[in-house]
Amino acid sequence: MNRHLSTEQLSSYLDGEIGSSKAERIEEHLDTCPACRGRLEAMERLVSGLQRVQRPSLPPDLAAAVRRRIAAAPEPYGASGPYGFLRRLQLHLSLLSEIALRPAFRTSAAMGLAILFSVFLLNNGLEHAHHTAPALDEPTTVVTVQTYFGQPPLDLPPTTSEVAGREFVWFDGRWIQRGLEGKKPESHVMAESPEGRAMLSKYADLDLLLADGTPVVLRYRLATVELSGS
Amino acid sequence: MGVATASAVVHDLDFELELVERHRCGDAQAFDEVYTRFAEMVYNLAFRLSGNCEEASDLMQEVFLRIYRHLGSFGGRSSLKTWIFRIAINHCRDRLSRWRPLTQPIGEDVEEGEVSYADPRRGPEELAVAADEGRRVTAGLARLPQTFREAVLLRDIEGLSYEEIAEVLGVRIGTVRSRIARGRDQLRALLET
Repeated sequence: MNRHLSTEQLSSYLDGEIGSSKAERIEEHLDTCPACRGRLEAMERLVSGLQRVQRPSLPPDLAAAVRRRIAAAPEPYGASGPYGFLRRLQLHLSLLSEIALRPAFRTSAAMGLAILFSVFLLNNGLEHAHHTAPALDEPTTVVTVQTYFGQPPLDLPPTTSEVAGREFVWFDGRWIQRGLEGKKPESHVMAESPEGRAMLSKYADLDLLLADGTPVVLRYRLATVELSGS
Repeated sequence: MGVATASAVVHDLDFELELVERHRCGDAQAFDEVYTRFAEMVYNLAFRLSGNCEEASDLMQEVFLRIYRHLGSFGGRSSLKTWIFRIAINHCRDRLSRWRPLTQPIGEDVEEGEVSYADPRRGPEELAVAADEGRRVTAGLARLPQTFREAVLLRDIEGLSYEEIAEVLGVRIGTVRSRIARGRDQLRALLET
C-alpha cells in the first residue's frame, strides 16, 4: 500500500471497525509512513478529547417535569388507546370462537357473527373510521403518515429515518408506500423471516407501522413487497 | 462477540422486554426504571444537538412522553437503547428544524450552558484546562453539519458501534463510516483554527 491512507480508513481502523486483513495492510503502511501516522495520532487525540468531554448535569427538576407531562397525557394502553382497541378485538374474537365450538349454536353462528361484527363496528367504527373497509362506490379513505406534519393516525410517531423519505398511506387495509396504491405486491415477506429482519434493520421505523398487526407494502430492491408481522 | 458478552446481551434484552411488558400492564415503576437508565443519555444527546440547556429540557420531556406512549410497541428487534436513541434523534431533528432554519448554526449559547465539568479528584488548574477544552470541543461539535454531528456524537461520546449507529440513523454502515470520518476531519479542522 503505497498511497496515503484515506481519512475513512484511518477512522475505521481507529475504531476497530475494519476487517483483519485490511487492518494488517493499514498497519504495514503506518509502519513506513510518518505522515499517516501523524494523522492517526491527531485523530486519536481528537477522539480522546471527545470522550473526556463531561456530560451536562441533568437539571434536578427535569424528572418531575417529565412526570407532569406524562400525567397530563392520555393513557397509552387505556380503553381509547391502540392497545385498548386490540384488546377489545381479541375479546370479540374469543367470544366468536366459543360460539362456533358449541353444536347448538352452529346454525345461528352466522347470525351471531353478523351481530357481533356490527357491535364491534359500532364500538370502533367512528373512532377508527379509516380502518373500516370502504364501500364499493365510495372513494377509499386515504390517511397520510407524514414525516413531520399533522397528527398521524393510531398515534404513530413521525418517522424521520430513510423510511421517512417515503410517504405511506392507509389504503385498502394496509400501509402502502405512496405511488404503489392498487399495485399487486410481487412478494410477501414475514417480518420474522431473515429477509423481513433485513428489511426492518435497514428501514427500522417500519416496525412502527407494523405495530398494530397491519401489513406494509413498499418498494424494496426494485420490487413491490408486502411485509407483514408474524 | 464472546460468550459472556453474548449472554449479557440476551440477559439485557430479556430484562428490557420484561420492563416493556410491565409497562404494558400499567406498572408505573417500569417506566421509572426506563427513565433512570436512559435520562442522562437522552439529555446529553438533546443538549449536544440543540446546544442549549433550555431547549434540551423541552426536548427531553417530549422525547420521554413519546417513549411512554410507544414503549408498548417495542418488540426487541434492536436494543432498547438504540430504539430510544432513534426516537430521540428523530424527535430532535423534527423539533429543531421547526425551531430554527437548518442552515442557522447552533450552539451560540453553548459557552454559557450550565455544563458541569466538576470532578472533585482534579485540581483547580487542571479543572480550568479541562473545562476550557470541553467548551472548545462542544462549540466545535455544534458547528458541524447535523448529519456529521449526529454520527460523531453517537460514536465518540455515546460509544455506540457502527452497527448500532446505522440502526439509530436508519442508514447503511458504509454511510455511518463515511459520516464519522468526515465529521472527525471537519471537527479537527475547526478546532485547529
